[in-house]
Amino acid sequence: MAQNEPKGVKRGVSSYCYDKFLYVNMDMEDMFRDMYDMGATGLEILADGVIEGYPYPSTAWLDKFFALTERYNIIPVEYGHWVESRLFPDRDGTVEEQAEMLIHDIKLAHLMGFTCMRTKLGVIDETLSPWTDWREVIRRALPYAEKFDVRMQPEIHSPTLLKDPMMMDYCEFIDKEQTKFFGFNIDFGVFRNKGVHTFPGQDPNRPLWSEPEDIVPLLPYVYCCHAKFYDMDENFDEVTIPYKKVVQLMIDNGWDGYLLSEYEGQNKDNMFHVQTQLRRHHVLLKNLIGY
Amino acid sequence: MLENEMIQYRGFHNIVENGEVTGFQVCLRQCVYRGTWLSQFRFGALIVDGVEYGPDDCTFTVSGIEYKYEEMAPLWRVKWPLNEVMVVKVKKPGGLAQGVHTVDVRTGQIRSYLPPRIDASLTAPRDPNARFDMRGMSNERQLIIV
Repeated sequence: MAQNEPKGVKRGVSSYCYDKFLYVNMDMEDMFRDMYDMGATGLEILADGVIEGYPYPSTAWLDKFFALTERYNIIPVEYGHWVESRLFPDRDGTVEEQAEMLIHDIKLAHLMGFTCMRTKLGVIDETLSPWTDWREVIRRALPYAEKFDVRMQPEIHSPTLLKDPMMMDYCEFIDKEQTKFFGFNIDFGVFRNKGVHTFPGQDPNRPLWSEPEDIVPLLPYVYCCHAKFYDMDENFDEVTIPYKKVVQLMIDNGWDGYLLSEYEGQNKDNMFHVQTQLRRHHVLLKNLIGY
Repeated sequence: MLENEMIQYRGFHNIVENGEVTGFQVCLRQCVYRGTWLSQFRFGALIVDGVEYGPDDCTFTVSGIEYKYEEMAPLWRVKWPLNEVMVVKVKKPGGLAQGVHTVDVRTGQIRSYLPPRIDASLTAPRDPNARFDMRGMSNERQLIIV
């Protein structure tokens, strides 16, 4: 299915947009219907929340998922999951335990047709540096990612900056392993240049956001992105993130992948507001990428 | 479908065993976007009319299986699913009196992907001024026992 998709920048939606409504007044099919209305084909799920019976869904549930993706022309793009480091009250999860969790998610993502994963690693500090022995966890999972053809991607999320040392660590790891199965999901919140919060103890000289150009050297490692948005105005502009610049840079550099809408603004529990914000966002994306 | 609030009205009642009222129960949902591994579940207290019932005063039923609090700590492969409620049961001979009760709860899940500092806020008394208190929003509800 995915191989019939056109090359270039494409648009989709993360189930995160609907998380306040799921199981309260909305189900998975409602989510897909909303996406279909917008012509948004790419899907990110937060696996744990969306998959009933996670991490062991029934075949009946999987059949329902496949039927709905077909009916609403949905391409499974990114499988959002977590690798838990602070797993027990008295100790961290071991490398073995964390890798076990991750490998299971790789298999399930593949079974459901996903080609990317948003692999959220445990963190140890305020800038979201990954758990100390993350390399070993990922190294153990790489053969599975390769076999099952899914790309693990930590989400690079504010307050992380695209020029932070941890980004160099990730890139060095990728180069050393010579792998295409570990990369980044860049969350567009890193480009937010209005209303940015600081964290406790933040160095006053530390920049508050990344510049759009900072994404360019990372693009070869990026397979899909969180098109984070906070505030879409009536003119279909995102007022806190320089979308036009960022997306144009991606187009100019021949990037091929999905931008997955992720709404994190006000009134996230108001369905009309979220739907309006989401549709405005897709007007913006559609006009930028051309379809 | 679940109620929007963390504390569910459905499921709030006294528990009757062999004709005797032995306690009461309340059901909770997870107001987040994922379920909880039981080893990452944290519980501070259920607070009814100002009386706190701590982890050792309660049992916790997930997918029909009842656990004591400490029994959940090693269970990292067992999930409290997002689309299910957890039943919190409290032993209290005679149960809660007929009428209105103020019910609140301090609970949450460990999230390894957030700075470790945030874990402590899950079970601590609420601080309305703390920006990163995941429980800054009140869960309090007024519920009636019939």
